[in-house]
Amino acid sequence: MNNDIILKVDGLKTYFNTDDGIVKAVDGVSFELKRGETLGLVGESGSGKSVSNLSLMKLIPSPPGKIMAGTAIIDGNIDLLSLNESQIRELRGNKIAMIFQDPMTSLNPFLRISTQMIETLVLHQGMDKKEALAKSIDMLDLVGIPNPEKRVKDYPHQFSGGMRQRVMIAMALSCDPEILIADEPTSALDVTIQAQILELIQSLSKRLGTAVIMITHDLGVVAGMCDTVIVMYAGRIVEKGTNDEIFDSPKHPYTKGLIKSVPRLDRPLAGRLFSIEGQPPNVIDLPSCCPFHPRCHKVMDKCKNTTPEVTKLENGREVRCFLYEGDK
Amino acid sequence: MSDNKLLEVKKLKMHFPVTSGNLLKRKVGVIRAVDGIDFEIKEGETLGLVGESGCGKSTTARCISQLHKPTSGEVLIEGNDITKAGKKDLLKARMGMQMIFQDPYASLNPRMTAGSIIAEPLQIYKNRGMLNITKTEIGEKVESLMEKVGLSHHFRNRYPHEFSGGQRQRIGVARALALNPKLILADEPVSALDVSIQSQILNLLTDLREELDLSYLFIAHDLAVIQHISDRVAVMYLGKIMEVSGSKELYKKPLHPYTVALLSAVPIPDPKIERERKRIILSGDVPSPDTERHNCYFYDRCPKRFDKCKDNIPALIDVGGNHHVACFLHHDEVAK
Repeated sequence: MNNDIILKVDGLKTYFNTDDGIVKAVDGVSFELKRGETLGLVGESGSGKSVSNLSLMKLIPSPPGKIMAGTAIIDGNIDLLSLNESQIRELRGNKIAMIFQDPMTSLNPFLRISTQMIETLVLHQGMDKKEALAKSIDMLDLVGIPNPEKRVKDYPHQFSGGMRQRVMIAMALSCDPEILIADEPTSALDVTIQAQILELIQSLSKRLGTAVIMITHDLGVVAGMCDTVIVMYAGRIVEKGTNDEIFDSPKHPYTKGLIKSVPRLDRPLAGRLFSIEGQPPNVIDLPSCCPFHPRCHKVMDKCKNTTPEVTKLENGREVRCFLYEGDK
Repeated sequence: MSDNKLLEVKKLKMHFPVTSGNLLKRKVGVIRAVDGIDFEIKEGETLGLVGESGCGKSTTARCISQLHKPTSGEVLIEGNDITKAGKKDLLKARMGMQMIFQDPYASLNPRMTAGSIIAEPLQIYKNRGMLNITKTEIGEKVESLMEKVGLSHHFRNRYPHEFSGGQRQRIGVARALALNPKLILADEPVSALDVSIQSQILNLLTDLREELDLSYLFIAHDLAVIQHISDRVAVMYLGKIMEVSGSKELYKKPLHPYTVALLSAVPIPDPKIERERKRIILSGDVPSPDTERHNCYFYDRCPKRFDKCKDNIPALIDVGGNHHVACFLHHDEVAK
């Protein structure tokens, strides 16, 4: 077992039972996260990026959701997915912490920031309240909240959006987690505030040695922050590679299209943008085929009735497309 | 593009009262959402309006279409001030000026079919006797509009929930086009959409502009999107316009410190460029618009502020090449 690998997810499948049929939100996702690494998870809405990470934290509402298969080994010996509720509670917030998209709804509006921060520390670190308060103030100071001794007593509505996200980060990092899952942490924020928060996550994760899983739909955020990038489509990983590789030489037609269809600030383009035609797939009862084939401009007959498997290329690069079957 | 001014906004102010008390409402303050702005849109031109949340971009659009009655200022459509227009004149002006909204889920009535949503503007003007159109003509018009925005006319009896987000936004576009308007006020039309769908809608809007000779007021917070679609760009902050210029010029040579910071904060999808870029990280948050300001509106967060900015408000002045900027670094003019 490689010691550098802190989390190894293998064959994760999460399905939702709905009136219209089974939604295969996550359908066989495998990846590894190294210590201190920042992993970017990109995809459009409904591609399964959030659900895969909620599954790791066992936060999938059940029913209707169910983790059907897969393992997620943390630290080389604990399988997150086989733990029961009380065991996973010990890890949540302690070893793995999460920050969410909307900083307003993820803080309890009735409780002071201090109460919410102390709760985590008392529960996981066994501190008494006084120590926990001191640690909370330290953490708030670390994430750049001015006047933390006073602000810790405030309620969430007294903070602005960017400040609330800072509080969330302080709370998430207060127990020195080994993994931080950031689920679209800046999508609800303005660009100037986004830049502040991204820089904060980056510098803190480096300083504390935390591995980060960064879920986002913004390719710019990925390019600036991540070491490794995973692209998801319809519940599956379609491409994996290092940051530079993905942007320099994208392999999968979907990744190529995605990168080309974003208007770029540094390279303005007159006329029409490249666009991936068609609509995102309906993930209910997906037949056995490449889910991207109706929108793919390189579609072959094979793609319409067989599901492509993962092809492993050099440097740990992976792509799920029939075009690369011969290039192992 | 011609030189005829289609829309002119002069000294537009929109102050929302803040009230307190249940029965006897007392006015306890004002939110200065839009605090005196001037701009114009020529025929066939696209003006991009960009800024962070709360800077007043949407309020500006709503004041132009008179969904909010502005506190003061003028909105001239082809030379006629519609803030003082009577009901009939206002209806006529609105015919030439339609809106597209941000959220394609909230802006379509879930109990109406796609066909009736697109037909509604025609129906309303027909009922008021301002449009001479028969029922069959409305039907034909709806079908041609649906084809125009890339929806099959077979979908006309479907309900909004049967469409995806991108398709719904197409319905919203078709509805806006129903009355053959000259000006489209597009309020964040692509920000709720996924990347691959976003480029489809941007292309649709570009094609329609060429085909129908439309002008857009295009509101967005995404600077790359604004750059792609606009001829000219206005940057707003705290209810004021900080800089207006041709799109190419503004992105190549931003003058106002706020524009510079805003541009440097936008992530670029290329890891090599990202590693080498220097970011200007603005400290702090946007201040609350509830107080009257006597200094530059950007003073609190400006990395280049100096003494003069503290007690004077810079005017929005042309510094050459139709590049307007409100900053004392580039001129000495004080706003009146």
